[in-house]
Amino acid sequence: MAHDEGPARPEGLARLLEEDPADLYENAPCGYLSMLPDAHVVKVNGTFCAWTGRRPEDVLGLRLPDLLSAGGRVFFETHLAPLLRLQGAVREVALDVVRADGSVLPCLLNAVEVRDAEGRPLLVRATVFEASSRRRYERALLAAQQAATDAEVRARTMHQVVSELAAARSAEQVADVVVRRARRALEAGGAALWLVDRVPGARPEGTVPVDLAASDGLSPELLAQLATAAPAGAELVRTGGVRAAPVGPELRQRWPGLAGAMAEAGQEALVVVPVSAADDRHLGALVLVLGVTDDSELISLAEPGTRGALSPADAELLATLGRQAGQALERVRLHEETVRQAARSAFLLDAARLLAAAGEVGETLERLAELAVAGPADICVIDLLTERGLTAPVVAHADPARRHLVEQLRDEHLPHRDGSHPSVRAMVERRTIWARGVDEAMLVRISTSPEHLAVSRALQLADLICVPLLVDNRPLGVISLGADARRGRFTEADVDTAEQLALQMSQGMDVAQRFELESRTSHALQGSLLPPEPPAVPGLALAVRYLPGSRGADVGGDFYDVVPLPGGDRVGLAVGDVVGHDVTAAATMGQLRSVHRALLVDCPDPGPLVERLHGSWPLLDLPRMATALFATLRPATGELRIASAGHLPPLLVHGGRAEYLPVAPGRVLGAPPVPPREWSGRLPEGATLVLFTDGLVESRTADLDAGLDRLRAVAADAAGEGPADPDALCDRLLAALTGSRRADDVALLVLTRLPGADALPQTAAAPHALPHALPHARPHALADALDGAAGDVTVSGDAMRWSPERTEERPPSSGFPGVDVAAGLGSFLGLDPAAVRRLVSGALTRLSGAVGDAVGELRQLARDVRPGGDEDR
Amino acid sequence: MITRNCVHVSGPAGARPMLFAHGFGCDQSMWRAVAPDFAVDHRVVTFDHVGSGGSDLAAYDPERYGSLRGYAADVVDICRDLDLTDVVFVGHSVSAMIGVLAAQAAPERFGALVMVGPSPRYVDDEGYTGGFTRADVAALLDSLDANPQQWSAVLAPVVAGPGNPGVATELAQSFCRTDPAVARQFARVTFLSDNRDDLPRVRVPTLVLQCTQDAIAPEVVGRYVHEHVPGSVFRQLAATGHCPHLSAPEETTAAIRAFLAGT
Repeated sequence: MAHDEGPARPEGLARLLEEDPADLYENAPCGYLSMLPDAHVVKVNGTFCAWTGRRPEDVLGLRLPDLLSAGGRVFFETHLAPLLRLQGAVREVALDVVRADGSVLPCLLNAVEVRDAEGRPLLVRATVFEASSRRRYERALLAAQQAATDAEVRARTMHQVVSELAAARSAEQVADVVVRRARRALEAGGAALWLVDRVPGARPEGTVPVDLAASDGLSPELLAQLATAAPAGAELVRTGGVRAAPVGPELRQRWPGLAGAMAEAGQEALVVVPVSAADDRHLGALVLVLGVTDDSELISLAEPGTRGALSPADAELLATLGRQAGQALERVRLHEETVRQAARSAFLLDAARLLAAAGEVGETLERLAELAVAGPADICVIDLLTERGLTAPVVAHADPARRHLVEQLRDEHLPHRDGSHPSVRAMVERRTIWARGVDEAMLVRISTSPEHLAVSRALQLADLICVPLLVDNRPLGVISLGADARRGRFTEADVDTAEQLALQMSQGMDVAQRFELESRTSHALQGSLLPPEPPAVPGLALAVRYLPGSRGADVGGDFYDVVPLPGGDRVGLAVGDVVGHDVTAAATMGQLRSVHRALLVDCPDPGPLVERLHGSWPLLDLPRMATALFATLRPATGELRIASAGHLPPLLVHGGRAEYLPVAPGRVLGAPPVPPREWSGRLPEGATLVLFTDGLVESRTADLDAGLDRLRAVAADAAGEGPADPDALCDRLLAALTGSRRADDVALLVLTRLPGADALPQTAAAPHALPHALPHARPHALADALDGAAGDVTVSGDAMRWSPERTEERPPSSGFPGVDVAAGLGSFLGLDPAAVRRLVSGALTRLSGAVGDAVGELRQLARDVRPGGDEDR
Repeated sequence: MITRNCVHVSGPAGARPMLFAHGFGCDQSMWRAVAPDFAVDHRVVTFDHVGSGGSDLAAYDPERYGSLRGYAADVVDICRDLDLTDVVFVGHSVSAMIGVLAAQAAPERFGALVMVGPSPRYVDDEGYTGGFTRADVAALLDSLDANPQQWSAVLAPVVAGPGNPGVATELAQSFCRTDPAVARQFARVTFLSDNRDDLPRVRVPTLVLQCTQDAIAPEVVGRYVHEHVPGSVFRQLAATGHCPHLSAPEETTAAIRAFLAGT
């Protein structure tokens, strides 16, 4: 038998084992409860009553939930009861039973539902075990687990923050990360980051100027109140660590508005976290408001006013976050500054390139302004100062959508600005004006009309730098750079950039203006010195061309002349080239041509003419040497006489052939003379004579002989069998021989002796014979020339060019070539050369500055004195 | 949607749709004593909220389900997915308010609301009795922490009486599983929400079913809901506790049918 093999049983065991089941129920080592399906207790054992200190009659009739703690009640209704109904049993449910004295007995409950044959519930039987120590242990485990989880969450938060901060490329991104992450980590109602304003400025005692860098979850009212308190608050956190302040009497006293807004928004505490750099420099403060979160629609679990205390772990998390944020901020600022500095350098280099490239002024300024708004500024306005005041400014805006605003400013408002405008002040005071932080008051101050104010507001100007363009402390204009609200304030480095740009521009414009003066004056004078269209000469078809060098500043000493000679049967021809391309060359040419005409009166033949010129050269005191070719032609007979003073020979084109006439070159005018040898021959009917200067045949890439060969070839090819049309031939020669970039001036004179010229009367009076010789007999030729010069130079408008390279080519000279020109012209017009020389040299010494004055005075002088007349004064 | 919310559809196609939404603490199996009866003449849809029962746990997003609106959005998704209109939304406990929010978000889908043990706010407030203090809710969250196995572990086949083979079968499954973290968050959202302002915006016929001795949603709360939902019908049930659809399915079904007959 099995029980015989078992251990010996104590005496009386059988009786104990067969004890009364009622006693077993009543005094079991666990609580027993029997309940109706609706949880009403209908039977309870003594153990349960003993544990809970309740009498059976107190328990019977209650529902089980009535015996449980609040949490247990909810758990019973939401979990236990449904589960029991659904699966018929539950096991090891942790519940807190409330004792009669109100104390709590942690229990574990097992229950089973007794059902009838149809599955309807009849009864619920439950056993209850005391689980105090087990629950304590579980709670401790849970707490440890929770702490570990919290620590892990914090670690993860920090990890995320660190990696997001590392990815941040701008201060805005850093601020965004910090605000967002901090708010989430603390489940805060809102968060905002204020950064100390790095632009130094005046501030009230005990405050730090701060800018809002980012915010999240804060209502506008609360944000406004925080912003009001922030400057003083930033000073407070400067020395402290993480601080939490509940909305209490202290806060209400110091910042009543803020306390009110906090209460209004349901926020209960304020947490301020210092944001500092690695060297503890104070960079700003992170502010969190704790309370009901706006967007979760959840009621705070904490009782009102209990969120003011920050757990040490949270405080440490925030402190770390503040330090990380500070370091990230420093890093991106350094990065941003490096990038900005590189951009500034690149911008200045681009600007220098633009200024160095010889370009038309208006276009250069336009491109410069565009460059500025692509780089360091949003708005660029460039004004130039002329003798008539400011010109219409060049404007640009970075945003095409706002371009119309600056154009409106340019067209309607800037012309009316007065001395209070920073740009005007910059010029008047000759120093940089930095309008730090343009505000409404300033806009009102500088606006000239409500419309002007409206445009200024629409531009959202946040900052403005005006730098005068100065040469020798004399303003040439002003460049204004503006930043709009989207860009924010300028820094000292931006001001440096603007000043360097202005310096580059000033130098470029100074050079350009000096060069422009010479160029314009020279062109104007030369224009007046060149003969008008050649007169019609019976029996001849004539065409002339004069092309100055393709670089706008080139002016030359080339000339041509066609003069019907006294007696009417001959015509004098001349082509010449004074050495150089400058004002002196032009002036010398003018004198030379005038002297030539004067000599023609009694010495028309080429040989003697050259001789006379050689002879009078020292007396003329001409500063430059010149080559020239003189000829007389009798159209009726074709009799042609030519003498050369070092000039290239003329080309004869006839019968489909072209050849250079073997004219002896002779000596260059200004060189020690030798007697000239005159060439004489006959120009056949239908033949064409081409007189030219070396600009036609010389180039920088080929030598003179090659050029001459090419001219001959082109002319022969162009002429064909019949008489050549001089106009067409001129065009053809120029097109074939000179490119768009001529290095030198070209004077070209082409004439064809027309068939039938033999029939011309040999002594017919020429319609335009000397002494009509003075082409400048117009009373105010010089005045007109100077008018043109003055206007063009000082307006510094469309035609002005920068050409530093050209300027460098100028021969070093102590004086100005223009002095001699003016003196020569003055004497030509009957002025006292010495007086003119004094006047002009004085004026030209201050060339760039007082060009308007000088030209104006000269103009006045020219008007006052009639050619050949007396001074009025 | 069907997978995410473990949606089950039964009943004749084309019949008036009834959408049953379970409350906090369980899943759609709560409706098993009620839903089949309606499936005779209604298109019956049951589902699990994300994080409960057979729903796709991976779809749980703390942000989306950080407020009841996330759950309401799911309800709207289901309606759109199944193209349901004139829906009778039957919501138990917190799902009554989810139904209010869903009807607000997509009014064109809903024809009637049945609220079983509703509460717009569980925590007492000035001039308002919800039945709970903040401390009570904290204690509930503690109870949840004390019973993690309820959700995380499959229940062992315990105490299945020999005379109850049906029970044994059911034990092979497990009811009302919920991820502990999700359960805790759902409890927060449930017991800390305040939807009192949403009640007057209800625009459909509404039935408030109030249990006797309901510790979660006391009668005073049920009355409050009735008074603030325009034109609502209040029906006091003899059933006790918080889950009449489990403890008294016949009475619950009859009450809903009576209401629907009148709409």
